[in-house]
Amino acid sequence: MIKINNLSKIFRTDLIETHALRQINLQVNEGEFAALTGPSGSGKSTLLNVLGTLESFDQGDYLLDGRSVKGLSDRELSALRNEKIGFIFQGFNLIKDFSLFDNIELPLRYRGFSAAERKRRVEQALETVGLAARRDYHPSQLSGGQQQRVAIARAIAGEPRILLADEPTGNLDSLMARQVMELLEKINQQGCTILMVTHDPDQARRANRHIQIVDGQLNDATMYEPLASEPLVAGA
Amino acid sequence: MEALLHNLKLSWFSIKRAPLPYALTLLILSLGLGTFFSNATLYYWMNRDPIPQKSATLFMARINSTPGDCTDCFEPPRVMSYMDMQKMSGSGIPSAEAAMFSSDAYAKTVENQQATPSQVELRVTQRDFFKLFDVPFLHGETWPDNKARMEVVISKNTALKFFSRTDVVGQEMLIDDKLYKVIGVLDDWAMLPRLYDVNGRRSAEPAEDIYIPLETAYDLAIQSNTQNSYFDVDWDGNMATYPQMARTNFANQLQFWVQLDSPEKVQQYQQFLKNLVADEKAAGRHTRPESNKLDNILDVQKAMRATNEQLDAFALVASLFLLVCVVNASHLSLNRYMANQYEFSLRRALGASRWQLQGQILADVLFSSVLAFAAALLFAQLGLWTINSLLPSTRALAGWDWQMVAVMALFVVLISYLVTLYPALKTSFSPLNQQLKQ
Ligand SMILES: Nc1ncnc2c1ncn2[C@@H]1O[C@H](COP(=O)(O)OP(=O)(O)OP(=O)(O)O)[C@@H](O)[C@H]1O
Ligand SMILES: [Mg+2]
Repeated sequence: MIKINNLSKIFRTDLIETHALRQINLQVNEGEFAALTGPSGSGKSTLLNVLGTLESFDQGDYLLDGRSVKGLSDRELSALRNEKIGFIFQGFNLIKDFSLFDNIELPLRYRGFSAAERKRRVEQALETVGLAARRDYHPSQLSGGQQQRVAIARAIAGEPRILLADEPTGNLDSLMARQVMELLEKINQQGCTILMVTHDPDQARRANRHIQIVDGQLNDATMYEPLASEPLVAGA
Repeated sequence: MEALLHNLKLSWFSIKRAPLPYALTLLILSLGLGTFFSNATLYYWMNRDPIPQKSATLFMARINSTPGDCTDCFEPPRVMSYMDMQKMSGSGIPSAEAAMFSSDAYAKTVENQQATPSQVELRVTQRDFFKLFDVPFLHGETWPDNKARMEVVISKNTALKFFSRTDVVGQEMLIDDKLYKVIGVLDDWAMLPRLYDVNGRRSAEPAEDIYIPLETAYDLAIQSNTQNSYFDVDWDGNMATYPQMARTNFANQLQFWVQLDSPEKVQQYQQFLKNLVADEKAAGRHTRPESNKLDNILDVQKAMRATNEQLDAFALVASLFLLVCVVNASHLSLNRYMANQYEFSLRRALGASRWQLQGQILADVLFSSVLAFAAALLFAQLGLWTINSLLPSTRALAGWDWQMVAVMALFVVLISYLVTLYPALKTSFSPLNQQLKQ
């Protein structure tokens, strides 16, 4: 469902160019739970952001469900993010003034769902993450692990095809980290593809696929050769 | 609708997060707007067409008839003499014509003779005045001709003030201790600016209280309180001889207005004035060069050099001040948006398009507009009081009609949007990845 061909990303500042991603080829299939590991600064977050269309890229191509994201308008990209992709950040990124319910409801609003449909989905997501009883709490009233579960609920409420998680347990102690991992596994078993950045070798082992990135290059047997029939060249 | 409410709620949250910077932004914005509005109000009233349905047909007529030999004096006197006015009237060309000047007096009712009289503003004029300027009557009507008669037309407020009712036709009043009969009561009427009386810059004042026939005023030596110019007049000051003196000398105090319903009529009346001056010259009068003026009512302020430069200067300063305030408010609002950048990026990551973010920004604008509008009206009212006390002659111009209020409201929304525009664009177009990194 995710297919990346020869993708490169360069950060340019006035003084230096950073090659954050170099000629990456990657394919992630439906239903996979893939862990992405690598040293700090190796380009993990950059890759995730590119996959989440939060970041553009310089060369190569990125196909989501067989469709290139190149040349999509802001509106199309937003819709794509909204419908197909769920984000989970290391820092939760919840809106403090909002109740749990309102936080989870936010992306559903951009989708144009009716109030009833939003309610149904929010409640279901809250149920999934085990926080149904606290729908009117505010994030500050929750522990870190609970907050991350709210963020997960927000990510899955729109029933995305793929969850992109950037060190979702990075800010949590080991007990809470385990709870969050179990939750992600449960979501994966329900059919949602997950790509997760992690520093924790245990977590990486629990995933059913392990992708390593070093210095902007993928470095393991999970590299896929681009198929000859696929367009390769930028702008194709 | 539901989305709007949601966005308004979000705006409220973001205000609550940093109420002080927001209040400051709003204060600066509404100060600028308020100052601007108070000046714009005066400017609007001073420069509007007070009688659009017939302004094209109303003219003030003057001839260059002043004694003395001056070959390069082309500017006729601002006010006409009685003799010249008589010659300029009665041509049959205008569909209405009236000479006039303003004065003041003390008035009381006959029943209440013991009371201390109140000061009233007088308009000394002729029968056609009310027709010229579309003045509505509530009761009674104008004088049947231009002869002297002890009869007055009074304003509605004057009727209410002296008689506590409006239907007072036939009642009597003492004006400067002379007994007059009320023959007409006007309905509510205001002409702003009062372009029939730009002389002496009094056009911003309210309409007069009492209207007195011109001939009566000459008989009773009621004189103009605006401009009374005597040219080569040899008069001993004996009031008994005033009526005769004022009617036969260059004792100039009259503004003479005509209604000319078509360009042909204007042409004809101009020709009439030309012929008149030729006759006068032939008779050895009108020694100055011919220089007849027939100024349209909308040009009369300029022609009489009675435009209010102070007001123009104020308006300029207020516009500049608004500009400064807008720039400052925009800067403050940029800071506010930058502080909220994280939330905007988060929403984009959750799938809001830039377009959907505009909805949020519009809600912000709406919110600030309502608050800024209320505050700006307050400041504008304060500003008007200040200006009115600096320039008392503008006091009639302080009001707003609902159209002005609507225009001001629209203006506030526009300015608020302008103030938010740059910050909004900057926040919606900034790169997404950095903000969410923690
Ligand atoms: N906005 C940016 N501008 C310039 N350089 C950037 C930017 N974002 C990332 N980089 C650079 O790109 C490289 C990859 O960064 P990235 O954040 O993807 O690393 P990471 O693998 O996520 O590291 P960590 O494990 O510390 O989160 C780094 O060298 C980083 O300095
Ligand atoms: Mg990272």
